[in-house]
Amino acid sequence: MKKNEILSIFQEVIEGPRNIYLDEWVKAGGKVMGYYCSYIPEEIFTAAGFLPYRIRGAGSEDSSDGDAYMSARVCTFVRHTISLALRGEFDFLDGVVLLQNCDHIRRAGDLFVKKVKLPFYSMLSVPRAPKERLFSWYLDELKRLKAEIEAHFGLAITEEKLEEAITLHNATRKRIRSLYDMRKKDAPPITGEEALTITIAAHLMPRDQFNTLMDDLLADLTNTEGTKGYRARVIITGSELDNPEYIAGIEQQGALSVAEVVCFGQRSFGELIEPGVDDPLERIARHKFFQVPCARMVECFDDQVAALKDTVREFNADGIIFQRMKFCDPWAGDGHNLYWRMKEEGIPFLGLEREYLVPASGQVKTRVQAFLEQMGK
Amino acid sequence: MSRPSWNRWVSDLDAEINRKGENTVILGKERQKDWEVVYEGATGLIDLYQEDPESKGMNAIVGGFRVLMDGMFAAIDEGRPVVWHNCGCSPELIRGLEGVQTVPIELLTVLQNLVGEVDYTIALIDEAEAHGVAPEVCSIDKAAVGTVLNDLYPEPACMLYHNTPCDSQIAAIKSLTELTRKPMRLMDVPYLSGDREVQYLAKQLREAIPFLEEHTGIKFSWEIFREVCEESNRTAEYLRDWNELRRHTPCPQVSKLVALNTALLVAFSGDPEGTAIAKAFRDEAKERIERGESTVEGGELYRAIWYQDPVWFDLQFYDWMESELKLVIPMDLFGYYAPEALIDTSTPESMLEGLARKDLRVLPMSRQFKGPIDYFIDDYLRLCADYQVDFGIFAGHVACKHGLGGIGLFREASREADIPLLYFEFDMFDPRVTPVETIQDDITHFIEDVVRPRKEAA
Repeated sequence: MKKNEILSIFQEVIEGPRNIYLDEWVKAGGKVMGYYCSYIPEEIFTAAGFLPYRIRGAGSEDSSDGDAYMSARVCTFVRHTISLALRGEFDFLDGVVLLQNCDHIRRAGDLFVKKVKLPFYSMLSVPRAPKERLFSWYLDELKRLKAEIEAHFGLAITEEKLEEAITLHNATRKRIRSLYDMRKKDAPPITGEEALTITIAAHLMPRDQFNTLMDDLLADLTNTEGTKGYRARVIITGSELDNPEYIAGIEQQGALSVAEVVCFGQRSFGELIEPGVDDPLERIARHKFFQVPCARMVECFDDQVAALKDTVREFNADGIIFQRMKFCDPWAGDGHNLYWRMKEEGIPFLGLEREYLVPASGQVKTRVQAFLEQMGK
Repeated sequence: MSRPSWNRWVSDLDAEINRKGENTVILGKERQKDWEVVYEGATGLIDLYQEDPESKGMNAIVGGFRVLMDGMFAAIDEGRPVVWHNCGCSPELIRGLEGVQTVPIELLTVLQNLVGEVDYTIALIDEAEAHGVAPEVCSIDKAAVGTVLNDLYPEPACMLYHNTPCDSQIAAIKSLTELTRKPMRLMDVPYLSGDREVQYLAKQLREAIPFLEEHTGIKFSWEIFREVCEESNRTAEYLRDWNELRRHTPCPQVSKLVALNTALLVAFSGDPEGTAIAKAFRDEAKERIERGESTVEGGELYRAIWYQDPVWFDLQFYDWMESELKLVIPMDLFGYYAPEALIDTSTPESMLEGLARKDLRVLPMSRQFKGPIDYFIDDYLRLCADYQVDFGIFAGHVACKHGLGGIGLFREASREADIPLLYFEFDMFDPRVTPVETIQDDITHFIEDVVRPRKEAA
């Protein structure tokens, strides 16, 4: 298959809560586990025989059901996702796993328990500093989750199954890494809008099928003429972003996104989980806990900055566009801190606020244009 | 004696300070204007009301804050190390290092709103926003950033923070760390509050001791820590008694006192000053009950639990409720001292576990805000029953997303318990978001339209 055909498939996958691959999986009797955050390892669900499904709000036309339970000062990502859940749009899920990654998600968890009432629910308590002294607590939380799944569904998540899951998810990571490597070229064969579409799709469909499609895509991209004529290369970072249209609005102004360091983007994949003799669950836990930290994490801002600077250098980016979901406090702190750090580093930085499912507006486009002009592009 | 009209009174005082010039000298050193305002405010109030038997509790806490300021200024003068902490962190562990000065990062904002001038807080909020802090971050956290931008706190040797009670604190502590580039240690307070969580936090507290020693240059003393924990327990016992006494009908004490309890715990836990304040709270309530006095002149008509956050920017608001509506707040979330075990001081481990238990299960906000919504709702329903109120007031501070995110379930629980609930949104430190007059109207109409007819029907 060619690039455009494959991208069309991924585009269909991400359009709403359901997709054809998911439906086939469910029709065949497969179980599906929903989850919310990059600190929840999909490998555990895969090892349990489930399809991991990362919850998002695509397909929600309004957040009214969520608004009935949550103030308008709760972020629109959470209100849209919980609206879908309350309307039964996630009824294909056999359970949901959350963590207390922010105050908004915590309250979404309460609504899942009290109103949505899926058959299985678990809330992980993930430490807010990626430090060795707190790692054993995180590992214990994953062991608890594993035990709860085993007890509830009457199955065994063996070490062999975990190893198989690591292999499968590593295969995805390799393909995403290859895709990102291609984006380092002067003329990347794929845009930011397209890349985010791909990485979102990975969270919503069986990984083996995703990997197969990626093999075709990567093969075709080697022969694809890349994007030229852009005004600047930018890294997009900040809070949760699963709306490729938003990036399209930015790219239409001439800013080519060469890496999306966001949830559903690069942040969800990271490096490979290395093979080893250690307990596979511990290797999974180390990979997740010590990944490039997000804003919910403390005592690690230097690591976040270093990783971002590395990405700017590796992808030869001209600047950073930071986007933040309105009312997101963790990213509000990091937005402030990143602005001043990047100023120190001499890296152009644009901070934007946005609402979920709203494409880049005229105001955003104007600000991106001004940003490009500021960079002399 | 009529109730003190503090904010207006302090405005007059501020004008007087302005007349003296910018460099008023306090304790031998020039201090920033912001501190002059609160110090003079506290001193003036103490001078004015120290003989007033009706103001025993308020005098004690204002006096305590003046002692805290004296200690902070003295630490600067003497070169003693300073450790910053946040409102999710009860400071007993830091007090185990003799001579180290604790500074809660919310201190100046709390004092400015209590005894100083709200406009100073507003200026700090605006400065933080102008520096790039998002408007929806909590106003007390924005003001803390503004305070640090203006170098209004003594330079810390290091900082000890807990990741509670909310995400806004996370934003604040990361920003303060970035602005100061000083060593910081996070205590990870987990989602639940069971025994496993107590052990987890206690272990972290123990591991924080070498961090504190390294950066303050002072050896931690288990003996001093034991004395601190015993002091903390004495404070707790008075506060428990006080909580019980405020159940009395009619409520013996002013409503606004309950809003101050969290400030007491954050600033004074383990300090004899804290015990003195708690004792004054208790004694005042006890004596007034013995004299058969109600805090509402002419008798209270309505009782309500105030939940979520107090109107810190204008504590006179509570006086207005009492005088105009005959409405009293016998207890709020900030005043509630949960009946958990005291700190067992028999061994180092038992003390650390006791302190961890206090952080998790007692400290207001941290207790209710961080876990599942049941933690938040159950306390509310318990308070409504214990204090025999007519209705509840959910004062939704706009930055408390956990509370605003749970408002639907909270309303349902109130309906099921048949407790009328008034809900509004405001900012507890910034009167520009919802003016006090609007809140007054909301409460007045709710009483007229819902509470009074219901009482009459009953």
